[in-house]
Amino acid sequence: MFKTTWRGMTAHKLRLVLTTSSIALGVAFLAGTLILTDTMKVAFDQLFGKVSSGTDAVVRQESAYDASSGISLSRAPIPASALDAVKQVDGVAAAEGAVSGYALLTDTHGKAVLTDGGAPTMGYSMPRDTALRGDIHLLSGHAPRGPHQVAIDASSAEGHDIPLGSQIKVLFRGPTETFTVVGTVGYGGEKDLGGTSAAYFDTATAQRVIGQPGMFDEIDVRAADGVSDATLAKRLDAAAPEGAEAVTGTQVAKEASDALNSQFEFLNIMFGAFAGIALFVGSFIIWNTFSMIVTQRSREIALLRAVGATRRQVNRSLLLEAGLLGVSASAVGVVLGAGVAKGLNAVMAVLGFSLPSTSLQVAPRTIWLSLLVGTAVTVFAAIVPARRATKVLPIEALRDSTPGARHPSRLRAALGTVLTGAGVFAILQGLYGGGGGTLVLLGIAGTLFGAITLSQLLARPLAGLIGSPLRWRGVQGDLARQNAMRNPRRTASTAAALMIGLTLVVSMSTFASSFKASIAPVLKNSTNAELYLTTASAQAAGYSPEASRIAATVPGVAAVSASGWGQARVAGSGAGYSSVDPATAERAFNLHLDAGSAKDLGTDGLMVTSKAAKANGWTIGDTVPVEFAATGTQQFTIRGIFDYNTVVESDYVISLAAQEANEGDRLDSTALILLDRGADADVVKDRITAALADHPDAKVLDQKGFEQEIGGFVDALLALVSAMLLLAVVIALLGIINTLALSVFERTRELGLLRAVGMTRGQVRSMVRWESVVISLIGATLGAGLGVGLGMALARSMKWYGVTELSVPTTQVLAYLVGAALAGVLAAVGPSRSAAKVDVLKAVVTD
Amino acid sequence: MTVTTPVLASTAARAESVSKHYGEGDAAVRALDDVSVSLQAGQFTAIMGPSGSGKSTLLHVLAGLDRPTSGQVYLGDTEITSLSDRKLTLLRRDQIGFIFQSFNLLPTLTAAENIELPMRIAGRRPDPLWVRSIVETVGLAERLGHRPAELSGGQQQRVAAARALASRPQVVFADEPTGALDSRSGAELLGFLRGAVRDLGQTVVMVTHDPVAAGYADRALFLADGSIVDEMTAPTADAVFDYMKQLGA
Repeated sequence: MFKTTWRGMTAHKLRLVLTTSSIALGVAFLAGTLILTDTMKVAFDQLFGKVSSGTDAVVRQESAYDASSGISLSRAPIPASALDAVKQVDGVAAAEGAVSGYALLTDTHGKAVLTDGGAPTMGYSMPRDTALRGDIHLLSGHAPRGPHQVAIDASSAEGHDIPLGSQIKVLFRGPTETFTVVGTVGYGGEKDLGGTSAAYFDTATAQRVIGQPGMFDEIDVRAADGVSDATLAKRLDAAAPEGAEAVTGTQVAKEASDALNSQFEFLNIMFGAFAGIALFVGSFIIWNTFSMIVTQRSREIALLRAVGATRRQVNRSLLLEAGLLGVSASAVGVVLGAGVAKGLNAVMAVLGFSLPSTSLQVAPRTIWLSLLVGTAVTVFAAIVPARRATKVLPIEALRDSTPGARHPSRLRAALGTVLTGAGVFAILQGLYGGGGGTLVLLGIAGTLFGAITLSQLLARPLAGLIGSPLRWRGVQGDLARQNAMRNPRRTASTAAALMIGLTLVVSMSTFASSFKASIAPVLKNSTNAELYLTTASAQAAGYSPEASRIAATVPGVAAVSASGWGQARVAGSGAGYSSVDPATAERAFNLHLDAGSAKDLGTDGLMVTSKAAKANGWTIGDTVPVEFAATGTQQFTIRGIFDYNTVVESDYVISLAAQEANEGDRLDSTALILLDRGADADVVKDRITAALADHPDAKVLDQKGFEQEIGGFVDALLALVSAMLLLAVVIALLGIINTLALSVFERTRELGLLRAVGMTRGQVRSMVRWESVVISLIGATLGAGLGVGLGMALARSMKWYGVTELSVPTTQVLAYLVGAALAGVLAAVGPSRSAAKVDVLKAVVTD
Repeated sequence: MTVTTPVLASTAARAESVSKHYGEGDAAVRALDDVSVSLQAGQFTAIMGPSGSGKSTLLHVLAGLDRPTSGQVYLGDTEITSLSDRKLTLLRRDQIGFIFQSFNLLPTLTAAENIELPMRIAGRRPDPLWVRSIVETVGLAERLGHRPAELSGGQQQRVAAARALASRPQVVFADEPTGALDSRSGAELLGFLRGAVRDLGQTVVMVTHDPVAAGYADRALFLADGSIVDEMTAPTADAVFDYMKQLGA
């Protein structure tokens, strides 16, 4: 049986190539994601390992969380007095206090050195002990000394033309100061630390500008010869003051690396999801290919059965073929995966996530997992066609009939209807029956699978409908339409691949469009502000609160209500919270308070949304434990219950003062600016812009600008998602090529006949092309319809979170449909050529 | 059977020193070896010969479906061996009708649509009166809306014949048109072709190995080993049968 299998596989080379590519592309994405993840991890581990190689142990405050909790880690500072105690510990060769915090460099023109991709902008104290610096090297100049000197990372210096000796302003949480650049810093072989911009000061200056006087963030310790890191850490831990701990330098490096890796985790999830979608779409092509194989070989299979092969042998032979195909395609995929990893890395670099360079890490896990997943998907997709093969009867070997297209069964109709119905019901129940978002997502999945099941029944009427304008294209148009209607199963499963891709893209666009349409009305409903202050770069974590303070002094400004953002565990579960200014919050935000007041927040007050209050059964005056990374669990009292607010963007609100007390290094994320009665917004805006000349980390926006700012992030995300989903469309195209090539092969005699009775090659090509367009449009129409529906469901499910409007991006959807039609034309290039080349004689001669 | 060949009969198609070789060197097969023949307009010509005699090749070459290795082929006054594929295709579409042994019809089209196919490919509107008269002659008026799968073999071949005649071609070429039919259906089809020649002045060239079929023709050409070895005017089935026995022997 093996020989038969092998012969069968190699007989149709084009089909083999197309089918292999459809699986290989999905696997390549999977392998690429895994390789990139591993490479990033190794790169960061190496980088942080080198950077901290001089530090053998670290004394610091304990934190409530560890690096793996996914909540940003911050620690309370440790008193400078602890340094003396540390130095007393046996085995300490050197110990220095270290400080780090927010510091934004500007270039020689005063423009902010903004990092890409949300990488931090940091200031550090530069250790005096060169051994403690580890692999942090001065590439030029010397270490900063005194209150007016700074050394900066080599990337910032080179990228922004900041020469040694130049005077630059550096922004802090407090007032901006001017420094002389005296050195540039590199890390191992790198010029920056994973994209972070860094400013180094001497320890006293660092304490003043980024820390607190008399406090260190941590104490870095170098061990004396012959004392192991672990021993030193143990001794230090015993000597550490209450609430402090000592750990090895290796541990700190690992934590830092893990924390950075977890920042990139969303990328892995996203790329992984695309790999999944690609494989899912690819499985339809496999399914199609094996259905074709079974149809074409039914005589051969019948003959095998006639000479004594059992059903099981036939089944096994086909599954073996699928397995072989899966393994080889996956192997190709793994190899391509290295290229994909490089490509993704390049894409991320363009987006601003520059990763330290290291050799690509292809772990054994990547190889076996990719092979396993690719092969499993292939074999799984071949199960149904292989089962159909077992139903071929031996007698069919003797019949001279080409197997006709079977019509979709009633069972399929029933199953598809039930699935779709249940899906739609689940969506509605989730939206209006209080079932929640999970039910909506389940419903969306159900509807999608139901639609895939039903697409076989819809393919014929849809082909007829979509193809009806083709009548005007003459007989070749008419024939194209009829050919598309001929085998609804094949047409449907070919179109299904495109349908899935389009469903995803269109639902995303519809959601994004609804989101954007909601911004203006929701914003009006959320704030009373006329101007807004926000970060200069959309990806920055925040801007210096100093900017808000400056804006408040501008004539015409009645009040500036700043807000911030942080993470904590509220009542045991991790959550983001917002922080507001109690004095002005109620005036600036439309909080729609059900009860209580923002004025009463104090440093231990909490406001919650009515939704969170309802879910937890909280009322005004209840006490809720809030656990901060730096200060641990604090008891907060509920002082207000409000409706969800788009600017607040969180279920929990505390005061700025409370955040300051519990998190230390705090930045403003947005400030709402209220104007004096009669003040002209444009005039005041210009005044604020002028006042903030030294604060390039913040910018002032009017209502329209702020709307665009919020919408811009949606556009960026949409662009990325759409670009990735193109992969699914490419795979779908391979499927269309595959189907067309097979149809041309099957219809050799018809094509010959048409050519004999006078159809020109051009007409033949046009016929195949139109068939391709019809198939593409079936998939695209179904996908667009589903996508609009599901996108609206998704938008509705987010109504609470400020997606109040529904909007269908008509132009965009039409553009996708046109694109699909063009893709159909593209897919038909090869098959239409081979159709036009059919040898008339071979087709018409009966032998 | 008496047949009056017009004295000044014009030539519908002719071959001049046509040879067709397959393969090269020792393995070369001469399917046609320097064949020259003229086919008169308004005549029903049968090309006879045993299997492998080259009769189908001659038909394909005459009909512009295949190109000869050497020699010229004329359809009317047009030399067709030098035509481009496109010109040849248009010529087939507009001036030639085909009936093959089997698989004459597109399965997705109805009988009526199949009949009109060459004209629709040409983007021409079929002449409804003419089409109706042909459909009535072949006795298919009731079956026009049916697809090939719903028609018998004989009906399918009659649809093919109607299609071949519908565009009023210069020549109808038929390649073993009765090869897959029972004798009754075969007789019906041949009678129809005969009638088209007699009543409509159509030119028909038919390849067959069946002496009975040849008996319907005005003229029979006999091929053996790629050459025309004889011809017979107003052949009868018996005479052809006897001659074929000699050829075969």
